[in-house]
Amino acid sequence: MSLTDDRAALDQWYTLGALQDFPDGAEVHSRLLGEDLTVRRLADGVEVRAAGRALPVRTEYGHLWTSFGTPERNLFELPESREPDRRWIHCGPVRVRASGLRLVENFLDLAHFPYVHTDILGSEAHPEVAKYEVEQRRDVDELWATKCEFYQPKAAAASDEGQISKYMYRVVSPFNVMLYKTPPTAPDRWDVIALFVQPVDEAVSVANAFMLVIDDTSTDAELSAFQQMIFVQDKIVLENQRPSLLPLQPGRETPTRADLSSVLYRRWLKEKQLRFGTEPRTDLPNA
Amino acid sequence: MADWIPIALSRDVPVGITRAVIVDTREVMIWRGEDGVAQVWEDRCPHRGMRLSLGFVRGNALNCLYHGWQYGAGANCLRIPAHPDLTVPPTIRANAFAAAETGGMVWMSDDSAAPPPQLPALTPVISLAIEVAPERVLAELGGSTAEPLIELPFAADTLQIGWHRVHAAKTMLHATGAGADIGAATAHLRALRQNLEQGVAA
Ligand code: FES
Ligand SMILES: [Fe+2]
Repeated sequence: MSLTDDRAALDQWYTLGALQDFPDGAEVHSRLLGEDLTVRRLADGVEVRAAGRALPVRTEYGHLWTSFGTPERNLFELPESREPDRRWIHCGPVRVRASGLRLVENFLDLAHFPYVHTDILGSEAHPEVAKYEVEQRRDVDELWATKCEFYQPKAAAASDEGQISKYMYRVVSPFNVMLYKTPPTAPDRWDVIALFVQPVDEAVSVANAFMLVIDDTSTDAELSAFQQMIFVQDKIVLENQRPSLLPLQPGRETPTRADLSSVLYRRWLKEKQLRFGTEPRTDLPNA
Repeated sequence: MADWIPIALSRDVPVGITRAVIVDTREVMIWRGEDGVAQVWEDRCPHRGMRLSLGFVRGNALNCLYHGWQYGAGANCLRIPAHPDLTVPPTIRANAFAAAETGGMVWMSDDSAAPPPQLPALTPVISLAIEVAPERVLAELGGSTAEPLIELPFAADTLQIGWHRVHAAKTMLHATGAGADIGAATAHLRALRQNLEQGVAA
């Protein structure tokens, strides 16, 4: 496989991982959208090259970002990254044999908590997904799901009892998503947990979880281990979805009201005419 | 290809168990609820595509691992846990194949028009995967791609071996015997497999 010709996918920012994983001077090989890359950390910045060409680079939010094309927008805003009392926790990278779009959709999903994260993020006795709201914010081109609530036996590393957690979800680009969640120790603020997906090939992805949390009891290792445990559970599901590519064709899967965010996400991907990581459609006239 | 295809030994699908099988590159799964009836379905949940073979059986229902959607023996979805009060529309169903059990094997068919074969009760010996094309396996064992069973003389007995194509270069055998010495028959089949796989490599 070689670099995709999918314009919508090319014109996006992608992470290649946490900056801390690119040591000074070393050359690191990576891959994005079907194309091999080399990354070199230099004294005055980072160089990313593919097929003899230098690609644009960003280093926001502790991560390295690049693009093959011309992104319409700057990298998304993450105001919480400027709040001094937040801890920055990296978790990953984790390689997953699935479309990156499947990873994002799984991240947006509340209904799997009781079954995939049993007795941690959900319990079989409380599987109901209450009605929540979704919207496409056209000014920033982001998707939001708000007023999400879910009963959680152990919502975070610092939880010692069950709680009704409040969530908000925010999709900032097809492969980058974050959630806002009430921390057990500061109910008036929001923890941020981001999932930055590096789409390596159509059905191979690298997941980078990044947390900006308010927690002065857990250690970095505890916070990271908690997220790691959750993600390992998701990985089992993600690698066993069929097809591995996200189907956009109507009727291929069966959304219900709990899947509202997935429905909006798929509609948004179609609007962008994104193809990388989606199942080829048979219901459209050939372009 | 034969209308009815043997895809597993019944013994290997006890009550409460799911089992993934690849039949001619298609991912299917078998499960057996408390009523004892083997079900053969496409290995894909209609909700979000999760492989149903990773699900769990409770009573006479199969539950998907991802969001716990529950399917009854008729393949219709009975319950969507995220919406406990919802009466699930009958259109939401897993994709079921026709299934039957005879001769100690589980059989599937794409359409149930033809009746499944009628075989006497046979003693399960072993299921074996062979990394060789079915055509070669059948030529070696004296079977035919038009027939779902191979009759293989062994000692004073005849083994009845069901077979199915996994993909172009892999075959599954499901061996049974009326009164065969199971240990000896197993050893014999393993030796045959070794010869076939080495023959391919040579
Ligand atoms: S994928 Fe099976 S219940 Fe959601
Ligand atoms: Fe999850």
